[in-house]
Amino acid sequence: MIKNKKVKALSIACAVVAGLAVTATANAHPRWIVPSHFTVSKEGGDWLTFDVTASHGTFVFDKPAGSETGQIIMPDGRIQYPSYVTKGKRRSIFDFYFEEEGTHKVRVNNVPSYYTQYKAGRRDTVKWAKAHKAERDQVLPEQARDVITQVSYTRAETYVTVGKPTTKAFELEGKYLELVPVTHPSDIVEGEEVTFQFFYNGEPQQGVTAEITREGTLYRNHQEQLDVVSNEQGMVTFTPDTAGRWLMKANYKGELPDNPLADTASVNVHLTFEAVLQ
Amino acid sequence: MTYVSKSLLAISIALPLAFSAYAKPIPDSASMDIHFELPAIQASMYARPYVAVWIEDQQRKSVRTVQLWVGKDEWLKDLRSWWRKVGRYDRELVDAVTSATRPAGEYRFSWDGLDDAGNRVEQGTYTFYAEVVREHGGRNYIRQKIQLGESSMTHQLAPTQETGTITLSYIVND
Repeated sequence: MIKNKKVKALSIACAVVAGLAVTATANAHPRWIVPSHFTVSKEGGDWLTFDVTASHGTFVFDKPAGSETGQIIMPDGRIQYPSYVTKGKRRSIFDFYFEEEGTHKVRVNNVPSYYTQYKAGRRDTVKWAKAHKAERDQVLPEQARDVITQVSYTRAETYVTVGKPTTKAFELEGKYLELVPVTHPSDIVEGEEVTFQFFYNGEPQQGVTAEITREGTLYRNHQEQLDVVSNEQGMVTFTPDTAGRWLMKANYKGELPDNPLADTASVNVHLTFEAVLQ
Repeated sequence: MTYVSKSLLAISIALPLAFSAYAKPIPDSASMDIHFELPAIQASMYARPYVAVWIEDQQRKSVRTVQLWVGKDEWLKDLRSWWRKVGRYDRELVDAVTSATRPAGEYRFSWDGLDDAGNRVEQGTYTFYAEVVREHGGRNYIRQKIQLGESSMTHQLAPTQETGTITLSYIVND
């Protein structure tokens, strides 16, 4: 434990020294969504329930992330909203009745947040202001230099399939970082290779980094995460070795040319999926 | 697991050969008798298991669901492999083959050598699958490669936690 803290403190110190963007996102607890079931076989449909929280452990409830922005992309592409949204101190929950055949995408995305980093005064201390590009001039001191505005945006998503799997719900919005499950989420099987594809503003993106962890980090000594980086086509491949629920946390830091609100983006996709038994 | 996928790869490479060698249906008289046993299990919360028995071809495609013993269709998904490979694609098939769950005991049923559409399957290598899942209990997933050709054959599959001895008898009458 002590060792971990030291490592963490050291890495933060390094980042500060290097003048890197230690953003709110980098330190924030990753937000994720976990469904009670990923598959519905009941004729006429069934209620499923979802937990939403933000934590450092994989599927350990911690911070009270809300579900107000929750959406269900139906198999035909239209959008529905959760039922019975409740927010507790350590998580929020909602339910939804799944009755249409096909694959649904369930997501709780956040609202883009903008931070401007700058230096001012004689010292080269990096300072932060919660302001986007269009409003930063009113907030920053006149002599501010090395000014960069970054947008942070995180998609927390998962897939639920009723009966026969479909792919319409995978369609891109063309905004920030997005993941297309080339291996269908209902076809992820322990010991079999999985392929996902990443898109940044609608284009396949190389260099997206992702870490993939199996549930239950609280009960093992090491994260045992899989680390992947996307190739030229935006593809990553990995093999979940055991059945269970997994969380993929993907991040990409990119430029935003000609964007009126930000210069750079640090954008995430947090996907929860299950690897089923052979 | 690696071994399985490698052997499957080998099979798929060898496939065109095998296919041309057996491109005729199994004999009219051929069928497979299956002797199947659900063991008596002492448990404080015993529930009759869900059972799926099916046959796949060399492309790992199900050709026939032979038996499906289930209760509420809500739990069909718990037959993880059968649901993923077969059940989720065809609700009508599910309704057509579903029968009630059974208590512990010995059962005998047979596969007539027809696929789900009622056509006699071609000669070749197939895989017999049995998936048995019990609430508050375990799951066993049993596989056995079988050769369906001009001659009879028998396989005896060792018992597992959720199944007794399973005997497959492919019988071709002259």
